[in-house]
Amino acid sequence: MHGEARQSVRMKPGPHPQNSPNPASIGIEIDGPGRAYFDTVVTDNIIDMVMELAAEVWTVRDRQYVMENVLASQGIDAATLIEAHRPTAEEMAARRILREAFVARLLAGFLRRADVAEDKS
Amino acid sequence: MSEAGLDRGQLGVLPRPVRLADESYLEFLESFRDVLLTRMFPAMAAAGHARLQAAGLPLDDDALALATIQREFAKAPIVPSWQRFMRSQQEMMWRRTRASFGATAEAQLDWLAAFDTAGPGRLVVDPDFAVPDYARREIHLQPGGYTDDPIGGIVYHYGTKVFYQGGNDQDELHAELAALTTPPADGEVANVLDLGCSIGQGTIKLKARFPEAEIWGLDVALPMVRYAHARAAQQQVAVNFIQALAEDMPFDDGKFDIVFAYIIFHELPIAIIPAVLAEAFRVLRPGGQFVIFEFPSASQHLPPAHRFMIDYDSRDNCEPYSPGFVHADFRGLLAAAGFIVSDGPLSRNSFLQSIVATRP
Repeated sequence: MHGEARQSVRMKPGPHPQNSPNPASIGIEIDGPGRAYFDTVVTDNIIDMVMELAAEVWTVRDRQYVMENVLASQGIDAATLIEAHRPTAEEMAARRILREAFVARLLAGFLRRADVAEDKS
Repeated sequence: MSEAGLDRGQLGVLPRPVRLADESYLEFLESFRDVLLTRMFPAMAAAGHARLQAAGLPLDDDALALATIQREFAKAPIVPSWQRFMRSQQEMMWRRTRASFGATAEAQLDWLAAFDTAGPGRLVVDPDFAVPDYARREIHLQPGGYTDDPIGGIVYHYGTKVFYQGGNDQDELHAELAALTTPPADGEVANVLDLGCSIGQGTIKLKARFPEAEIWGLDVALPMVRYAHARAAQQQVAVNFIQALAEDMPFDDGKFDIVFAYIIFHELPIAIIPAVLAEAFRVLRPGGQFVIFEFPSASQHLPPAHRFMIDYDSRDNCEPYSPGFVHADFRGLLAAAGFIVSDGPLSRNSFLQSIVATRP
């Protein structure tokens, strides 16, 4: 366990950006290296990945549930239609973008702590 | 258009996230957090306490060093797992909440602006107000903290929905605390202050409890009081909000019959707290009540697992000031400020202490 002795991160000094909807200076805690709790940071990274996967699995299951109910209310048998569906090239490209974003999110834990594997003090 | 400029409607008193996928993702985290707190924390506490006992160390000795607790707890594999899960779910929650509401940030800023000067209550903001450095922390890991994200009000509102595991979707926690608020002995309640009001959930419920009273909510953070005011105005609740410092309140001596404070003190540097207590004393009239629901402080015994958790929360959930508060003699500070200090009624949240401090 080696998360100790880290102080809260100070935000950038100066006037707070009350008028900017997406100030660049926020999110230091969630976008920085974060914390590591195991003897090897890889364990932390794997758990982050599994949690992201689990959240995504639930999100998809939930959407599927909603979608099938919505379609059924319109008299559409989605399960049969989905199996019969053949995507266009455009659709496949769009799905690829979504898939790559998902993979990037899964691997974010490994990328954000790339240099702290030896920080076990 | 529904509250906060969104169009997916309401979830209790909350605006729904911008997309179903955000809502599903955050609901997953809400359920995940529930298991972490209601099942995994007790299991972690039992494992940690067993390690302490195996080392011949007492569980009821407040002098037991935190470092000793940490050393023994670390031997149980569930402990770093619990820490990892807690930190990760909190990061994931803020990341998705900010991204979801951030997708409609401009609409939300328009929504806030539309209510800035709307009644029935007032929003008071001094354009020259300077946020002190100590308040500008990403408390609870929230991007921008309370102070630096202009849509921080709605982000905080949904974040606390997950934090309370859905148990506050109707402001029921704040309603309970307002119901438990002890009025002055003479029953006279004409003016009430919600000190550190954040998004005004308590402020609104205090108005419901004391409908004839003038109610003020005060907070250091503009994003919080703007959202609080817009919400109250949309609900047509006549409460007032002001961006100001608890240690330097722009209110007359003796104005208030009740000053209500829900979990503000553990988010203040301990060096600031005497000045806040002096101000609360000043703005209360003789016989007025300072009603406080707060983290435990020095006079209360805490099991080692709770000390471990508070320390975790401080270091890894950006609560930089809570250890200072938890280890301080808060009731002694209240007495030193001139208050007569007594126990208040306890809420369903057994972690919180309840204090009623009376100005003689």
